[in-house]
Parts: sequence; structure tokens; C-alpha cells
Amino acid sequence: MNVVPIGPINPIFKEPIRIKLIVEGETVLGAEIEMGYVHRGIEKIMEGKHYLKGIHLAERVCGICSYIHTWTFAECIEHISNIEVPDKARYLRVLTTELERIHSHLIAISVYGLAIEHETFGIWCLNTREHVMDLLETITGNRINMGFNVVGGVRQDINKEMIDKIYKKLEELRNDMKNILEIYNTGPLINLRGRGVGVIGYKEVMKTRAVGPIARASALPESDWRLRHPTYKELKFKPVWAEEGDNSARTLVRIKEIFASIDLIEKILELYQESTGVVRNKAHIKGGSGEWKNEAHRGEVTYKISLTDGGIIKRIIIRSPSVMNLEAYKYMLKTCPTVSDAVTTYISIDPCVSCTERTIVLVDKKTGKTEFYSFK
Amino acid sequence: MIKEFFRKRSINVCIVNTGGCNGCDIELVSLLASRYDIEQYGIYVHNNPREADVLIVSGPVTLPWKNRLKELYEKTPEPKIVVAIGACALSCGIFKEGNVCGPVDKIIPVDATIPGCPPRPSEIIQAILKVAPIALSKREEHLKKVASEN
Repeated sequence: MNVVPIGPINPIFKEPIRIKLIVEGETVLGAEIEMGYVHRGIEKIMEGKHYLKGIHLAERVCGICSYIHTWTFAECIEHISNIEVPDKARYLRVLTTELERIHSHLIAISVYGLAIEHETFGIWCLNTREHVMDLLETITGNRINMGFNVVGGVRQDINKEMIDKIYKKLEELRNDMKNILEIYNTGPLINLRGRGVGVIGYKEVMKTRAVGPIARASALPESDWRLRHPTYKELKFKPVWAEEGDNSARTLVRIKEIFASIDLIEKILELYQESTGVVRNKAHIKGGSGEWKNEAHRGEVTYKISLTDGGIIKRIIIRSPSVMNLEAYKYMLKTCPTVSDAVTTYISIDPCVSCTERTIVLVDKKTGKTEFYSFK
Repeated sequence: MIKEFFRKRSINVCIVNTGGCNGCDIELVSLLASRYDIEQYGIYVHNNPREADVLIVSGPVTLPWKNRLKELYEKTPEPKIVVAIGACALSCGIFKEGNVCGPVDKIIPVDATIPGCPPRPSEIIQAILKVAPIALSKREEHLKKVASEN
């Protein structure tokens, strides 16, 4: 048995992580994942700080899904202290999240395209992404790390010109995406590298608690937390899903989710134009503790916060989706014939390492033993 | 003569994320898109430190990275330039109290800095293009030195 170490710096990785593949010849038998390169201790920094500082730190948990972290943080505190959010702010939050979901999925598809060495496909997705970044810049004022959310609402309103621009750009985006979907369905190389590679079934998904597009590609549509969110219930949201559970299905679910997001944005703009009022209420913080969940771009994200009456954070726990998805990786390896397939499978689960690097504590309920996954 | 002319248009870049939030990294990835198209300036983004001319470091240096970053710097071939990108790499930024051992210039020498959280892609291109002639002149001096020694 030989070991092939990949990372922490590798041409295809965008984040530092080290994978040790155990191989025999060209067949992959197993894998060991070494993490801890991006552990900064955000939860520890947040303790004892005011919630206004906390929302800035929550934004920098991850750069790709920065908006959904601030949204969940703000909604958790609003849930604890019963702050009512104006209608306009609720719709603007969904609008920005869906735009960010499109940009996150496009970057995932593009990196997958580069990993299977189909460079044209990858660069086309990146080009399409620039339209979305333009829209995010128009609405919030920044491309990444937007600082748009506050507890009690959002910072700014949008005007009529911006709405026209959003409609126009969405039409362009839909045309580009139709083109990308056609390439994806008919391209011979993409099917060759994706079909039947890295398969994970329904039973194994339940065992590893995988979430997000990975679970939805293995016939588990109810894993989408948008179904349980009050604003999405107004929109009568329906999740996208597939049955095959291989690399190809996971990427196809992401592409179809982009179409679903475009439809959601059009619905939300109609609702926004009917609503009136302010975009931000004053927040009166009451102490207590609570929990809130949201569907991030890679799966469900959970925030557990306990606050004092003055708004000082006593303790915060962030659970991000990629921990469970990386666990599912070892079951996918059984159907990876070569080393390069193992790498593309890793890319297809779209892991977000800087989200993942929280300290994990395992408690054995029978013996009461606790174990820490240590970071040096 | 021909070699010297073409060397001016071939710079290899290696991106090293030493614990940032990914924000700077995806702005670097979007440089590959046709709108910015970094390859038309002769810059090739290829994350291999062993053949890089420019190391782009983003993020505060976390504790596991402390020795690795030094190793990586030593592995890079000699005429090399380090660009620190983003607020975290310049001063540890928002993560100063966390599990970090300091900004990048505390660990390895830094030649250029790009502030911003994260900086825009056009700013990154501008900075790399300003730094590139220095890298090239350094490399030419190094090549002459090697030639004279032989």
C-alpha cells in the first residue's frame, strides 16, 4: 500500500487542506483528511464582544457564503429578543441570498469543470458569474463581504432603476445558463468523467448526515431548510433533486438550483414592489439563548447564541455544512477507479474549508467520555 | 536575445491561503474570467510553489502554517517576490486575538502589499503588473550571475 499526499497547496485546491490517499496501483482504497490550516478561533474571539462586532466576525467565517452567515446570525438574535423585521427587509434578504447562492454554485461548477480538465466549461461559468457580482455590487455596494445585514433589518433600500437592472441582467443570466445546461447534458467528456463516479446512496447519506446538494442528489429533497423558513413558505418554494448520487448528479442539481433561484428572485421582486415602509427597525435586545437554522449554499448552517441583556455574546456555536459532507467523502471513494477521479469527487462535494474549521467535540453518551479533535 | 524578450511575458503565480476567509482567493479566481483575463498580461496562475515567480499570500498566518510557510518560501526558486493581499495578511485584521501568530511580514519578507477586504480584481492586476518588472530585472541579474559563475 502506498500513500499519495495531496496539498495543502495544490493546483486544483482553492483552500489549504491535506488529503492522504491510500492507493494500491491506481485504485484508491481509502483517504485520510488532515485539517486545521484555517482554524482561527472565531467563536472564541466573539465571546464577550457586543453583537454589533459579532456580525462583522460572522461575515468573515467564510468569504464565499458570507451573506448567509450574517443572515442566520441576525435572525437568531431577532428570534431570541422577538424583534419584528419589516417586510421590505425580509424580501431584500432573500433577494441577496439567492444572488449569492447563484454566484457560489457557479464557482463550484466552474472549479469542477477545471478539475475534469474541461477548461471552456469552467471559464464560461466564471464569465456568467460576473453578471451576478455586478448585481450584488449594485444592491449592497461591495462584491464580497457586503456588510448589508444588521439586526432588525438591512442597511439600505433599492430603487426603481436597480429593479430594472436586476430584471435585465436576470434575462441575460437565464440565457447563459440555458447554454451551460445544454453543454452539460451533451458534452461527451463531462459525462465520461462524471457518470457513475463517486456514488453515494440514500442509506449512506443517512449514516453520514450529509446535507445540501449532496443529499439532494441522492434522493433526499426534504433536507432543504428553505422548506421550513417563513419567508420561503410565502413563495411556495420547491426543492430540486436527483436520484443518481454521483458527481454528475451533484453538479446537475447545482445547475438546476440556479434556475430555481432565478425564479425565486423574480417572485420576490414582485412581492417587494407591492410592500411599503422602512427597511430597518430599531433593535431592543433581550437576554436569553436560542438557535436558528438556514439553508446555506452547501447545506444547513446552525447558529446557537446566548446573549446578555446589554447585547454581549456569552457563547456562540456555529455548525457549518461541510463537516458532514467531508464525512460522506469516504463512502464516495469506493466507486473512484483512479486518483484523478478521487480528486474530482472531492471537488464535486464543494467543500468550504474555512467554514469547516470549528473545534469538534465528541461526547460518548454511555460512558460520558469527551474527545476533542485537536488543532495544533 | 529571443529568450530575454519572451521571459518578460511569462510570470508564474502561486496563491497561498494561510488562513484567510476565502474572500481574497475567489477574487483571485475571478481574475481568470474573460472580463479581467490575467493571462493576456502573461501571468499564469498555477499553484505550484516550485516553479513560481510571485507568491501571493492571503490571510493571517495561523499556527499550523508558521513552519509550513517558511518551508514553502525556501522551496520557491531564487528570484522570487512575495505579495501580501488583503487586510488580514497586512495586520491580521479582525482575527488579531485568535489562533494566529502574526501578519505575513513577521514570517517571510514581503515586497508588495495590497490593502482591502477584499481588494477588487482590477487592483490586484494593477499591483501584480507593477511588481512584475522588478521580478524580471531580479531574474535577469540572477541569470547573468549564474552564467558568469559557470
